[in-house]
Amino acid sequence: MDIVESRTWVEWLITIAKFGFCFVPVLYILLLIPMERRGAGFMQDRQGPNRSYIKIPFFGKIRAFGYVQNMCDGTKLFFKEMFAPKGANKFLYYVAPAIPFAIVFLSPCVIPWFGPMVFEWGGKSVRIAGSIVDSDVGVLLLFGLSSLSAYGAVLAGWASKSKYSFLGALRTSSMTISYEVCLGLSMMGILLLAGSFNLTDIVTWQEHHAWGIVVQPVAFFCFLIASIAETGRAPFDVAEGEPELVAGYHTEYGAMQFGLFYMGEYSHICINSFLVATLFLGGYSVPFVTTETMQAHMGGSLAILCWVLAFLALAFLHMIYRYSRKLAASVQSNKMEILQEYKLYKTIGWVAAVVLIALGACAWMFYNPANFVVNGFAVGSLASAVGTALIHLLVLVVKSVFFCWVWIWVRWTLPRFRYDHVMHLGWKIILNIALLNLVVTAVVAKLMGGN
Amino acid sequence: MLALIYFIILGVIAVGAALCVLLSRHPLYGALSLILSMVSLAGIYGLVGSPFLGVVQVMVYAGAIMMLVTFVIMVLNGARDKRTPMFDGVSLFVIPAVIVLAGLVGFALVRAPLAFDSATLPGSVKLTSETLFDMAATGPGYFLLFEIIGVLLLSAMVAAIFLAKKHLGSVVAENREETH
Repeated sequence: MDIVESRTWVEWLITIAKFGFCFVPVLYILLLIPMERRGAGFMQDRQGPNRSYIKIPFFGKIRAFGYVQNMCDGTKLFFKEMFAPKGANKFLYYVAPAIPFAIVFLSPCVIPWFGPMVFEWGGKSVRIAGSIVDSDVGVLLLFGLSSLSAYGAVLAGWASKSKYSFLGALRTSSMTISYEVCLGLSMMGILLLAGSFNLTDIVTWQEHHAWGIVVQPVAFFCFLIASIAETGRAPFDVAEGEPELVAGYHTEYGAMQFGLFYMGEYSHICINSFLVATLFLGGYSVPFVTTETMQAHMGGSLAILCWVLAFLALAFLHMIYRYSRKLAASVQSNKMEILQEYKLYKTIGWVAAVVLIALGACAWMFYNPANFVVNGFAVGSLASAVGTALIHLLVLVVKSVFFCWVWIWVRWTLPRFRYDHVMHLGWKIILNIALLNLVVTAVVAKLMGGN
Repeated sequence: MLALIYFIILGVIAVGAALCVLLSRHPLYGALSLILSMVSLAGIYGLVGSPFLGVVQVMVYAGAIMMLVTFVIMVLNGARDKRTPMFDGVSLFVIPAVIVLAGLVGFALVRAPLAFDSATLPGSVKLTSETLFDMAATGPGYFLLFEIIGVLLLSAMVAAIFLAKKHLGSVVAENREETH
């Protein structure tokens, strides 16, 4: 068993623990669904679904800002009957929803979740990559997988033996193929500058030069539009346009089979927002600070992280107090129940704020690990490497959540495109802009003496 | 050792899926088996140290080209073809030809050294071409397999033209299509 003994147990532990990142897109669904539903309400100046509650004895009702509503809807989907229409191809009908959902678990494997962890263990320096698979083909692997996930929609449309589903499936496949070309081409500029397909290398390049959005602004917008189109969301949701095709390729699906498509779509948004953040917004890198600086001042960095979180807790408290004041002045019949619930949130918010501020102060004063440099790399202890990874991960999550919000923002703001308009935009406008951008980037990079 | 286990698993899937392409009567199942075969081939490419080739195989063949093929199968509704018999008069010529071709491939495979060693396999394009076209009598003889595959592709092309011509050329066939 040479392969086991080739590394120490800490390396194996971290390498195996990294597989937990496979579940990040699925966890994001829990975040995205309430964000989408309440966000839609916010855009349209209404409350959004928030009426369901859990009754806790001796306290009152907990609605958790409408989160309970989503749990109820999820439970309903789980316990509904699985149903296949007559004449459907049973095997493909049941397999199809699983394809996009299975690929969801594979796609996070190449995204760098944190910078390479370099630390001292057992007398030698150890380096662990930030992605699950630190491959040289990185981003291409992601594209290969996402091109496979369109088969779910195509097979679903064909197998359910319905004209609407079938038309939806044809539209999905044509749109996926067209926009995948735009996606790949608009990404090429930044790959050219970084000189690598490996996403970790791309992020490192951005950390030391400039973020992708600064050096490739045109490509950023092309990429964003193409990736919104590729997830098949409004304004590009011609594949499931309600006025034309009842619900597109999943017209005949119900219960958890529909749920799988739904979750697949949200996970696709998650993956694409991580990709946009990684390629164009510096990925895990903290703005204006390099990883080396951060590791040299580990205690201070952790303190700032804690204080940012404490600031968020205070902002949350501000929101709750404003809501309470408004509610107390109103004549709503259930206002006492809601105010009771808000008391709980106030307690949690104050405790979190105080604890985070105290933690930050402790980190500032008492945590100053020694770092030393080996072959030009800062090598610290395991604790400072884990701290760096934690900061990187949080920064990446913040960036990707911002892009998830862009997805929702666009969906509830813009009207739907017509099918031929979508094709026109993809093939005649974005593709050409992306090509032109690639040529200009190549020429400029050559003249500037880069790669 | 680990690489060999992966290779056997992927190889069994690839060959099994390729057999399914031949044996399935439904064209869509054939296309899906082909996709499976291509994806497992991509896995083998990754295993022998050229992940780039594997990823391109998934992106271009399994992702784009096979998507178009399934598209065409769905639109043309080829699934209805239940009239073409598996064997007819032409089989008298086809079956011996297939057997001869299989014998040639078998001969070349037996002659070629097929040792699997993941450590020595990665190589450049130059190395690949030198190994592939090594015509010396003591060489591996991969060029023989290469030539036989060329013949196979040629016969496939001729067969495709023949099939297309049968439908386009005769008026009877076209009329039968209309009434169907």
